[in-house]
Amino acid sequence: MRPTSALARLLGGLLLLAAPAAAEPLAEPCAACHGARGVSETPIIPSLAGQPADYPILQMILFREQIRAVPAMAGQMQNRSDDVIARIAAFYAALPAAPPPDRAPRDAALAGRGAALSARMNCGSCHLPDYSGRANAPRLSAQREDYLAHALREYRDNLRLGADTQMNGLMYGVSDADIAALAHHLAHRD
Amino acid sequence: MNRRTLAAFGLAALLAAPALAQTPDMQRPPNMPDLRPHPPRLTVTPPDQVPTARLRVPEGFRVELWASGMPGIRAMVRGEGGTIFAGTRVIGRVYAIRDLGDRREGRVLVQGLTQPSGVAIRDGALYVSALSRILRYDNIEANLESPPQPVDLSAAFALPPETHHAWKHIQFGPDGRLYVPVGAPCNFCTVEEDRHAVILRFNPDGSGREVVARGVRNTVGFDFHPETGQLWFTNHGRDWAGNDLPPDTLHVVTRIGAHHGFPYCVGDWRDPGIPGDRRCEEFQAPVAALGPHVAPIQTVWARTTSFPEAYRNRLFIALRGSWNRERLSGYEVVTVRFEGDRAIVEPFLTGLRDDQANSFHGRPAGLLFLPDGSLLVSDEQNGAIYRISYAGR
Repeated sequence: MRPTSALARLLGGLLLLAAPAAAEPLAEPCAACHGARGVSETPIIPSLAGQPADYPILQMILFREQIRAVPAMAGQMQNRSDDVIARIAAFYAALPAAPPPDRAPRDAALAGRGAALSARMNCGSCHLPDYSGRANAPRLSAQREDYLAHALREYRDNLRLGADTQMNGLMYGVSDADIAALAHHLAHRD
Repeated sequence: MNRRTLAAFGLAALLAAPALAQTPDMQRPPNMPDLRPHPPRLTVTPPDQVPTARLRVPEGFRVELWASGMPGIRAMVRGEGGTIFAGTRVIGRVYAIRDLGDRREGRVLVQGLTQPSGVAIRDGALYVSALSRILRYDNIEANLESPPQPVDLSAAFALPPETHHAWKHIQFGPDGRLYVPVGAPCNFCTVEEDRHAVILRFNPDGSGREVVARGVRNTVGFDFHPETGQLWFTNHGRDWAGNDLPPDTLHVVTRIGAHHGFPYCVGDWRDPGIPGDRRCEEFQAPVAALGPHVAPIQTVWARTTSFPEAYRNRLFIALRGSWNRERLSGYEVVTVRFEGDRAIVEPFLTGLRDDQANSFHGRPAGLLFLPDGSLLVSDEQNGAIYRISYAGR
């Protein structure tokens, strides 16, 4: 390809900048469920694009060590080295986050209730006010709504632990209706 | 942990509703900044990236990197055959380390447990605590290659199922009984006084439960005085009460069953979050304040003849370091020396906290004196063990 304009050169430069994320053979098995560019089109399966690397590293290690029990992931992560895990996480961290193509329309009343709950529960304190996440606190914005509700229920019901028990304590006693509002609010933040 | 166990935790959480209704974030005062626990590092830190060169010890001592490649390593205990066993938290492993002279061989002995932070040895068996579970691996040093299925003693010990502050240190006392703390299931809350915020002791099979200390929010390190046999323990103060309040503390059990203050008092500090008329004079006072939010983990009496005389009757404490404080505190090993009734806390291993950058390079957690008198210090963040020896004057 021969760049013929400033715009083309700029685009070429952007492609170069994005090059490390452009391909990662190690992540190819992940694409079937998590999406080719890390945006999941599969219900209950999270998007990984734009996740701070520490978060997928923690989860992949919990799968490998059979501490977090998700059969599909236990098989994928069996005997994976730290280095492989770190490279897969870096690949997804470099991809741009985006909402899933099947995102339902925003319900203003439900999202408003979710926003009020999030403010009361200080979600933005660890996940940052724009919910882009940091370190092992994942990005929540533009995540699949069905996955968010699923994950919050798992924390509430002690079916899942994080690096510590913070999320279990925080979700204690939260109703299904409140979880639905939280998930709707977070899924519609881009 | 399997789903059934976790579902049981859910049920227990429902039953314990009053205690758990206040979650840590709900208790955050509006004027505190957005602090949060530091993320653990669960991947292997290569030896050349372990911050050994930053470490500082008092004059005459020398510190070296002794072993590495064991993410999340915490409390350590030594078997009669010389194997060192170490617990972890989120990575769910128990490590076994053999000293091969010129190098150390570390292996993952057990994996897939939930927060197996406590390790203890008795009659050739390794006892592991993983939250409310107590497991026993018999004749362990003869079976390092393929450890036997553990004997599950959890039903006999019948520890409460709440997860928060359930990661624990366990150790056999000079009375041959296993000492097992149960932390508070919250940041601060009133608790059932014989169920949570206690140190218990049991016969090795889990029978004979007895409350040794009450009002202990969260102890993750204790040891028995080599001469008196008294139990000395460190305790974590609560979060979100301010940068400098309350201190973490050192206590001694002089009367079995005495109340040490939680949730009402830490020394003479009366917690304003717990209303009522309880007064701090009612409670057993701590021996020493260790500093706010410093997070004492393994706590050991000096069992060494190779350190200078001045160090031999001291207590050594690994301070894993703060998260609930704007300026970092801890991230060092301190000693406590005694002058009459005074307990004086002094730094011993430093260099992992960078005050200028307000950052840290490692987190001391485990302490173990070897038969040659040198001291091992585990670094949870770097998955490493340092060895401190006395090199002479």
